[in-house]
Amino acid sequence: MTETTAITEELLRVEGVTKRYGANTVLDDVSFTIGRNEVVGLLGDNGAGKSTLVKIMSGVVPMTQGAYFWEGTRYDGIDRQKTEELGVETIFQDSALVPQMSITRNIFMGREITNPLGLMKMREMDRITTEILDTVVTIEGIKSAKQLVGSLSGGQAQAVAIARAVHFKRSLLILDEPTSALAVRATEALLAYLRQLKGEGVSSVLVTHNLHHAYEVCDRHIVMNHGRKILDVRREETSVEELTAAVVEGAVGVERFRAGTF
Amino acid sequence: MPDTHEAPPTEREQHVLTAPVSTTSIATRSRTLSDSVPTTFGERVRDSIRYTRGRGALEIGIIFLAVLIGFIIAGLVAPNDFPFLAPSNLSGVISQSIPVLALLGIAAGILMIAGEFDLSLGANLGFSAIVFIRVSEEIGWGWGVAAALGSGIGIALVNGLIVVVTKIPSFIATLGMGFFWVGASFFVNGTAPAILSGAKDDVLTTLFVGDFGVFRMQLVWLLIMGVVGWLFLHRHKLGNHIFAVGGNAQAAKAISINPGRVKLLAFGIFGGLVAFAAILIAVRTNSMQPGSTVDYTLMAIAAAVVGGTSLLGGRGSIIGMIIGAALIRIIENGLILAKAPGFYIQLFVGLIIVVAAIFNKLMEGKAS
Ligand SMILES: Nc1ncnc2c1ncn2[C@@H]1O[C@H](COP(=O)(O)OP(=O)(O)OP(=O)(O)O)[C@@H](O)[C@H]1O
Ligand SMILES: [Mg+2]
Repeated sequence: MTETTAITEELLRVEGVTKRYGANTVLDDVSFTIGRNEVVGLLGDNGAGKSTLVKIMSGVVPMTQGAYFWEGTRYDGIDRQKTEELGVETIFQDSALVPQMSITRNIFMGREITNPLGLMKMREMDRITTEILDTVVTIEGIKSAKQLVGSLSGGQAQAVAIARAVHFKRSLLILDEPTSALAVRATEALLAYLRQLKGEGVSSVLVTHNLHHAYEVCDRHIVMNHGRKILDVRREETSVEELTAAVVEGAVGVERFRAGTF
Repeated sequence: MPDTHEAPPTEREQHVLTAPVSTTSIATRSRTLSDSVPTTFGERVRDSIRYTRGRGALEIGIIFLAVLIGFIIAGLVAPNDFPFLAPSNLSGVISQSIPVLALLGIAAGILMIAGEFDLSLGANLGFSAIVFIRVSEEIGWGWGVAAALGSGIGIALVNGLIVVVTKIPSFIATLGMGFFWVGASFFVNGTAPAILSGAKDDVLTTLFVGDFGVFRMQLVWLLIMGVVGWLFLHRHKLGNHIFAVGGNAQAAKAISINPGRVKLLAFGIFGGLVAFAAILIAVRTNSMQPGSTVDYTLMAIAAAVVGGTSLLGGRGSIIGMIIGAALIRIIENGLILAKAPGFYIQLFVGLIIVVAAIFNKLMEGKAS
């Protein structure tokens, strides 16, 4: 395993994270750091534990063992309320949308813009929704912010989930296969946006099965295999080929790649 | 592009991102959303009709209007055979039987939107009415009102806690609790009806059943509750959370809404509305016979379903629930006026419920 050279400034660090579902160990002693202004790729085969790690980082699933540090401070019993406070925003693999509600209501769900009585400012929320969907997430075919999410295509729904995360992002944006349903142009726009965010001081974690995309936009790559971290390398120390070997064949694949026999 | 790490592309990655990764690709969209934002009043109206279509209330409202117009014409053509427009009939239907069922329909509907049922509605209604009468007779109706609200909300919250904590389906939990509270009504009251007599003064009468000729106080209460309910369910952030939790509790949870707390809130509102309807019924009839209100459970759920509330949660509207109750009651009234035998009423009301549910299911697919 390659040791990563010093990261600029530490934002999120997890240490010794283990997650068990019953007797099934899904994550086994995983540690890593996400630096400030860093775009990190989280890679691995199906079932490697990426989404579980994403949920733990976002606070929606508790870890069985391990520690969570934010800017060097340890937080025990981290939950979604806490991560929201810290500024973590996540696009979950299943999008976490409510099909029966409008796009606007989905985007502002739980974080509505209201007057002091708690009544929602619908016009303002519709306006912001329209604005985000027009600027950051470029997707064809959405007619109105009032459309029900259930009436959208898979890619359009994914765009809504992205729009929500983009609007509320503060320090760390975690994206679990955000481009799986997007067409070429929307995918490129999103990846470009991650690089732009880096310039604005927002870190991101990108989970994807497209290693070329990952290699293109990420500063560092973490590869998971059967719940373990098998690789944690900076972009300039690796190649698409090495990442492919790691994802496909695990630790053995990395060794073989380095020995030149992959 | 500000990044410096742009290594020369290897052969394999070249075809993936042919365009340079840059933000200019964002601006290449042909038609933007803001182009289709309505600006004039007419456009705004068209827009809102388009997005209320298929959500329940609009379609059932049209059916209700059709039935109403038919009844009005029949009432004008044959005022003696079909005295629909007679003041006593109108005041009884519009001001009395519709408002009580509509309030119960709203109660059941809000809970259904949150994804839960309460089959102890009728039992809760009867028990809370008995509590209201007994406490009013003992220490005055002010206390009676407070005690009834306490009992209605308390019973509903116990149901809510059972459902949220044990995660058993609310169907089963509240079915069981329904039997329990019917039994409890007999236990606290005996088999004879509880009678409201001494405690009933002019203020109480005017407040809950006041007769103003064309309309009665129950209708005023329905209007108040309807407006407050609409503001809460469709415009307040807590109402938004109720839809979110009923539509996809996992998603709501991932965005830091606590589904258990939201469901308890829905149960609490349900209980308050049931208690309020119990008071309206008790003040009008001056009595409450234990076990006599069980039918209201399914009538209230029927009103909500006819009004477009989804049985699966996440979908429904206050206006739809009110119209659903009105449609059921008005057809019932029409059959009575046409002197149809009693079983016809059950038969037709039963059919309406099924047809409306099928209709709503079809319209759900048209929602955009
Ligand atoms: N709630 C759960 N209960 C039991 N096992 C679970 C649960 N969630 C995930 N797992 C298991 O944990 C393992 C890792 O799942 P995870 O979703 O993290 O994989 P992933 O790396 O995101 O895969 P993919 O690329 O297919 O999305 C899988 O074997 C899965 O079966
Ligand atoms: Mg996954």
